Amino acid sequence: MANEKKEKAPILASKKVKIIILVCVAIIAFFGGKEFWELRHFKEVFVASDELTEVKWLSDYLPELKNSWFDTPIYVFDSGVEGGSVFIMGNVHPYEPASSITCYVMLENIHVECGKVFIMPQGNYSGSTMGSTGGAYPKFVTVKTEWGEQKYRIGARESNPLDQWPDPFTYVHYPSGQNLAYQDIRNMNRTYPGRADGTPTEMASYAIMELLRKEKIDIAIDIHEASIMYPVVGTYVAPDKSLSIAGYAAMSLSEYFNMKFEASPKSLRGLSHREWGDYSQALPFLMETPEPFIDRITGPITEEFMLEGKDEFLAKAAEKGLTYVPYDIEEGQPMWYRVGRHLSGAAEAIAWTSYFYPDIVVEVEWPLFEDIQANGLGYYLHDPDAPENASKVQVVYHKPAAYDRTYQDLEAAFKQ
Amino acid sequence: MSTYLITTILFVIMVAVFVICSMKLKSPEISMAITGVVGALVGFFLIDGMDFPVRILVEGLFINLDLAISFICASIFVNMYSYSGAMTAVTRKLVGTFNNKWILLTFMAIFMLIPGALTGAGSISVFVMGGLVATVVRYMGVSEKKTAAFVFIFAILSAACPPINLWTMIITAQCNMPYVGFTWLLSVPIAIVGIFTIIFLGWGSKRAPKEQILAELPEAPEKMNIIRILLPLVVVIGLILLTLYAAFDVPVIGLPLTFLIGTVVVIICNPVKRTFKEYFKVINDTMEQVFPLVATVLSVGVLQESMTQIGVKGLIGVTFITMPMILIFVFVLFFAAFAQGSLSYGSAIIIGAPLVFMYNTMGFDTTIACAALSLMFPIGDCLPPSRITGRLTCETVGYKGSYMSFLKQVAIPCLVLGAIALVMFIHPAWFKFLK
Repeated sequence: MANEKKEKAPILASKKVKIIILVCVAIIAFFGGKEFWELRHFKEVFVASDELTEVKWLSDYLPELKNSWFDTPIYVFDSGVEGGSVFIMGNVHPYEPASSITCYVMLENIHVECGKVFIMPQGNYSGSTMGSTGGAYPKFVTVKTEWGEQKYRIGARESNPLDQWPDPFTYVHYPSGQNLAYQDIRNMNRTYPGRADGTPTEMASYAIMELLRKEKIDIAIDIHEASIMYPVVGTYVAPDKSLSIAGYAAMSLSEYFNMKFEASPKSLRGLSHREWGDYSQALPFLMETPEPFIDRITGPITEEFMLEGKDEFLAKAAEKGLTYVPYDIEEGQPMWYRVGRHLSGAAEAIAWTSYFYPDIVVEVEWPLFEDIQANGLGYYLHDPDAPENASKVQVVYHKPAAYDRTYQDLEAAFKQ
Repeated sequence: MSTYLITTILFVIMVAVFVICSMKLKSPEISMAITGVVGALVGFFLIDGMDFPVRILVEGLFINLDLAISFICASIFVNMYSYSGAMTAVTRKLVGTFNNKWILLTFMAIFMLIPGALTGAGSISVFVMGGLVATVVRYMGVSEKKTAAFVFIFAILSAACPPINLWTMIITAQCNMPYVGFTWLLSVPIAIVGIFTIIFLGWGSKRAPKEQILAELPEAPEKMNIIRILLPLVVVIGLILLTLYAAFDVPVIGLPLTFLIGTVVVIICNPVKRTFKEYFKVINDTMEQVFPLVATVLSVGVLQESMTQIGVKGLIGVTFITMPMILIFVFVLFFAAFAQGSLSYGSAIIIGAPLVFMYNTMGFDTTIACAALSLMFPIGDCLPPSRITGRLTCETVGYKGSYMSFLKQVAIPCLVLGAIALVMFIHPAWFKFLK
């Protein structure tokens, strides 16, 4: 190795070249840092349905989370009519944005006839504030609407290391003691039931468990997306106590699309579909929709790919029978389709639970798969800048924040 | 243009840039970084809708940042330990106690296996034990080349050894499989290859008389005793064990801080009073020594991120897993090793997980397939462009020969490991008794 150093071409040894390299690195670091800052501090907004009754925070269930990047808003819609309660969570894996967009469509259009609904669009807020290292994802995904564009972030699978670092060389799950890959210590869907005095991710998981217990949640829905080469794609996953309901819901959905259902493995710990059921009274349902974007053998990573889900390499893999859902490159797996699946998937899980357990009935409405198919996704997203919506705009951040209209206006002007 | 055509063009450009840079600059680290930058920039111009890659390139630097910090801290610990004279004392004690070459080689093999088995990183084994093991093995009459091979083979075996095998953990995490049932599936092949390696590399060497070795070895500091020798190692290994077996009672401090705590203990245990300036010089020299390796792991991250963004990683992955099964059997060893050389642990994600899913569809035993793949990937740790553990081994043991001669020396034990893994992969049913 020493010989290699000695033989190095003079070009790298020259002072001038070193200075040029340093300047280049400084410029890249500045512009790269600017983008990291933008992703960290971007605030998603939505126009809340008229039926919003209360905004709670995850820190209401574990005060230690207050002012941390794990705190996140929870929107409550209480019909005032006695019934069951539902908890719906998106973006616990923030690189699965169809899950948070599903929540936003619900939040903007929900009508609750009976019971109470809690919606948390950013399950792991910390994880949404960074890109996925190794994934090379774009920062944002934009949904076109009649009034313009609505922008959502594409985050990572795990919590941001700025908020929880370092990782151990292996992650030991609490309380089972099961060994998992080291990075799973920042994966909120591996840290349930969590600990009040554990790592920040474990604390956030614990707060969610507290929410389920204190609010006496009857139905708990965890929305995800999965790569199409992953066997559990396009599936409900549920423990024994809610598995048959998932089965009925899946059958109902077959009118529109294929949805499988699968039992939550008892030996794999830390996941919502296992621990939510074991450590609370809730009936858990985890839903996965096909997201080719997060497959590992894809072509170039672009925002268009995230939106349309079309990829030649995956088509080739599908030809060879390596995908777990049918995949046609002409149709892809577009965002509207994935969001539509989740909207109907959640609605069916609630409807069938209400059917089997009339004492915890929840009657709720929001746009379904067929509505999104007919009208498009943007149709159900409202303009936060429209005067009539001014009082209904909600900002999703890790602490209360006002809607920064100036910023949005400036950006729009810049684009024009 | 089709995705296949664009990504193939980009792949060819990247290979050409890497080859040219390697020849002109003689620096694999800078060559990898330039290749990543050029790939990302050309991709930006060729592919519609691609973001300008500045953030992606910076993000790539973070992929292996933890590993780089661990390398730095482990090196500081080991160099401080050597500087205190403890390493010399250990070597003298071992050589003085055991007269039999095979017993000493076996001990050295076990010493090498422990750090990597506990941390999942073969490079940590090289850092912590490589220097000591190399010294003792050399005194057993083993040639420089074979000594380097000994350290490397046991380093990669330590990475594959339970309880922590990162490739297996990554694949099981990707496939939602529990990380259970791997202990014997990994341990037995590792034991077989380990025994083979000791015999293969130790055969024919002649140990010098004990007295001669002790005379040649530098004297240990006068007040160096067993407590001063063992305490730093006990603290480091103790902290690692606590992380594993008392995880809920201790905070997560990570490997870098573990090694820094060990360094403080080394300083406290040093029988010779040293000045701050002297210790600072050791740290400064360590940074010089470890810098190329740190640059390598950071550059690999940039290259990996760039390959992902422009689809070259996908091209490699899809080309392999869509081959007929018989060709997969033929090439899996080659592909797994070279993927490890290019993508480090990313290999488990792009090749390991899809193959395990494929086995699941075919009704084969996925646990055994996963174990088999996890035994193949470590072989790539000596292959370009990254060759992290290979380079580190050569640096640590001070091997002065060409890298190619080192590769030739490790080839046979690597092939034995590969052959066992391949048989496990092709006929998983034969190995069910190990589950």
